[in-house]
Amino acid sequence: MTDLNVKQEYLRLTYSDHHKASADEKVKKLLCIPLTQYLIFTVILGIFPLLAQMGVLTSSFVFAIGNTMIYAIMAIGFCLLMGYSGLASLGTAGFVGIGAYIAYYLMQIYGAPFGIAFIVTVMVSLLSGVLVGFISLRIEGIYLAILTLGLSEILRNTFISLKSTIKLDMSKVRLFGVKIGEEQVYLLILALFVLLLWITSNLIRSPIGRALLSVKNSTSAAQAMGINLMKYRVLAFVISTVYAAIAGLMYMMLLRNMTTSTSTLLSLATSLNILGAVVIGGAKSLWGTTFGVFIIYGLQSTLLSKVPFFVENPAFITMMTGLLIILIVMFFPGGVAQMAGNLVQKRKNGTINAQVQRRVDSYGRK
Amino acid sequence: MFAAFLSTVCGSLLSICVTALSAFSVTIIFRTSTTANFAQGSVAAFGCYVVATYLNQWGIPVYLGVLPGMIAGVLIGLFIDLVVFRKGRHVGELGKQIITMGFVSLFYGGIPLLFGNPEFIPFEPFYNTTKASVDSNVVLNAFGGEIVLTKHALISAAITAVVLAALFLLLKYSKWGLGVRTTASSEFTAELVGINTHVITAISWALACALGVLAAVMYAGGGAMINTSFMGTIQVNAFLACILGGFSTFYGPIVGAVLIPVLSNCVGFLANFPAFSDISRWQMVIVYILLLVIILIKPQGLFGKKVVKKV
Repeated sequence: MTDLNVKQEYLRLTYSDHHKASADEKVKKLLCIPLTQYLIFTVILGIFPLLAQMGVLTSSFVFAIGNTMIYAIMAIGFCLLMGYSGLASLGTAGFVGIGAYIAYYLMQIYGAPFGIAFIVTVMVSLLSGVLVGFISLRIEGIYLAILTLGLSEILRNTFISLKSTIKLDMSKVRLFGVKIGEEQVYLLILALFVLLLWITSNLIRSPIGRALLSVKNSTSAAQAMGINLMKYRVLAFVISTVYAAIAGLMYMMLLRNMTTSTSTLLSLATSLNILGAVVIGGAKSLWGTTFGVFIIYGLQSTLLSKVPFFVENPAFITMMTGLLIILIVMFFPGGVAQMAGNLVQKRKNGTINAQVQRRVDSYGRK
Repeated sequence: MFAAFLSTVCGSLLSICVTALSAFSVTIIFRTSTTANFAQGSVAAFGCYVVATYLNQWGIPVYLGVLPGMIAGVLIGLFIDLVVFRKGRHVGELGKQIITMGFVSLFYGGIPLLFGNPEFIPFEPFYNTTKASVDSNVVLNAFGGEIVLTKHALISAAITAVVLAALFLLLKYSKWGLGVRTTASSEFTAELVGINTHVITAISWALACALGVLAAVMYAGGGAMINTSFMGTIQVNAFLACILGGFSTFYGPIVGAVLIPVLSNCVGFLANFPAFSDISRWQMVIVYILLLVIILIKPQGLFGKKVVKKV
C-alpha cells in the first residue's frame, strides 16, 4: 500500500510540472529552444568587438575568439561526420586548404567580391565532398581514415606546388560592394558560425540526422530499414567538407597570409586537433564540440597567454591537450558533454530522491 | 639510361628500409590491438631525441647509442598498452586510435620541454664516413653506367633485412608468433584457447615502438633534420603502405613499403625526359593519386582478403 502511494507521489512529482507553467518556467522552457540559445550566444560574442573598442578587452582577445570560431566551424562539420555518421576522417586539413586557396586566387588575384568567393568555395568543396563520399562507400573504418589522410596530403602537396605563400590584402576584399575591416570580418565569422551551428542542430533533429545515426549504429540494419547508404554517407561528407572549406576561407580573411609548407593549418596536426576537440567535447554534442575547440585553440591565446608559466613554456599547452584527450577517452568516452549531462542528471535524481524520501518519512510518521 | 634509372631506384633504399620497419610496426599493432598507432612517428622521434642526446653528451657511436633510444621506445610502448589501454574503463577501437592521437600531442609538446627546442641535432650515420675518412658512397659499374649507393643506406638495408627476417621467422615458428597470429585473427577466441593476449599485445607494442626508433635513427642518419614531426611523412607513407599491401597479412605492408618509395623515385626519374621536366614539383601528388587509384580498385589491399560482414 505504502509502496503504491510512494509510486504515485513520485509520478506526480515528476510529471505534474507540465500543467501549470509559471513565468519562471516559461523562461526556462524558452532557454531550452536551440534558437534562443544561439541568439544569446551571438549577442554575447557580438559584444566583444564593442568592448574592445571601449578598452575593456584587448583586440588580441577578440582576434583569438575569432580564430577559435573558425576552428569551431570545422569542428561542427566534423562532429556531424564522426558523432552522427561514425565516419572517421583525417582529411579536414586538406579541405580547409581548398577554402584558403580559393580565397587567395579569387579575391586577391581576380578581385572577386566575397560573395562570389563564398559561393565558389561551397561549390568546389561540395564536389570534393561528393568524391570522398563515394570513396567512403568502398572503404570503411581505419582504411577510410588513412585514405582521407592520404587525400589531405595530396591536396597539401598540390597547394604547395601551386603557390607556397599566399597573401590577402584587405583592401581587395569587398562584401556587398563595401570594404570591410577586421571587426566586420569578426562579425562575419560569428554570423557564419552561428548560422552553421543552427543549421547543423536542426539537421541532427531532422529525419536526415536520425538516418545518419542509424547508419552509424549498423549499416546493414539501416539498409534493411530502407535507408539509402550512399545518399547519407555522401551527404555527411559533403557537409563536413563544405564547413571545412568555409573555415579555410574565413581563416584567410582573418589571418590574411599563410606559408603552406610550414603552416600547421594544412598539416595532420589540424585534423588531429579537430578530432581531439570533438572527442573532448563529446562527439554528439555541438555545444560540447564548441567547448572542446575552445579548450584546444581558444584557451591558449585568450587566457593562458596571460599566465607567465605558460608564456614561458608554450609546449606545455600542447602537452596538456594531449593528456586531456587521453584521460577523457580513458574515463569519459562521451566527453565533457557527458560529464555535464551526468552531473545534471545526478542533481535531478538527487532532488527527486530527496522529495520521495521526505514523503516516505511523512508516511512513516502517520 | 638504364643505369641512371637503377641508380634512381637504388636511391630509395633508405626510405624503403625506414618505411618497411614503420609499416611492420603499424601492422603488428593493428593486428594485435585492432588500432592504428598514430603515435608511431612521434614515439620514434622521441627515441631519436634520446639517441641524439646520448651521442652529444657521451660521444658514443650510433650503433651503441641506438640502444637507449630503443629501450625508451619499449618503455613507452609498454606504458601505452599496459597503463593507458588496460586501465581505461571504456576504451573501444575508435577510443584507442584517439588515445594514440592524444599521444601525438603529448610528444609534440613534451619533446621541446624535455630536450629544449633544437630544430637540428647533428646526427651521424651508422658508418661515420667522415670520421673514418673514407668515401661515403659505393659506386657499382653495371649496365654501362654508375649506380651510386650510400654506405649508410647499405648498412641500414642489411640491418632491416636481418631484423625483418628474424621477426618473420619468429612469427612463423615461435610460440610467440603463433600467439600473435592467433590474436590477430580473433582476440576473443585466442583468449578462449588459453593464449595470454595481454602479454602478446604488450610485447607487440614494445616491439613496434622499438622498431620505430630504429627506423627514425636510420632516417636521421641519412641526413634528415630532426624535429618533433620529422617522421610525419614516413608515417603517412607507412600507413599507406599498410593499406596498399593490406592489413590482413604481415608481408603485404612490407611489399607496400617497398613499392611506395620506388614508385616515388620512378616518377621523379621522369624529370630526366624533357617533356616531364617540371614533374618533381608534382612528384608526391602523382604518387599519392596513383596509390589512391590502386586502393580504390583493391580496397582490401594487394594481398588482402575480403572480410565478410554479418548483421
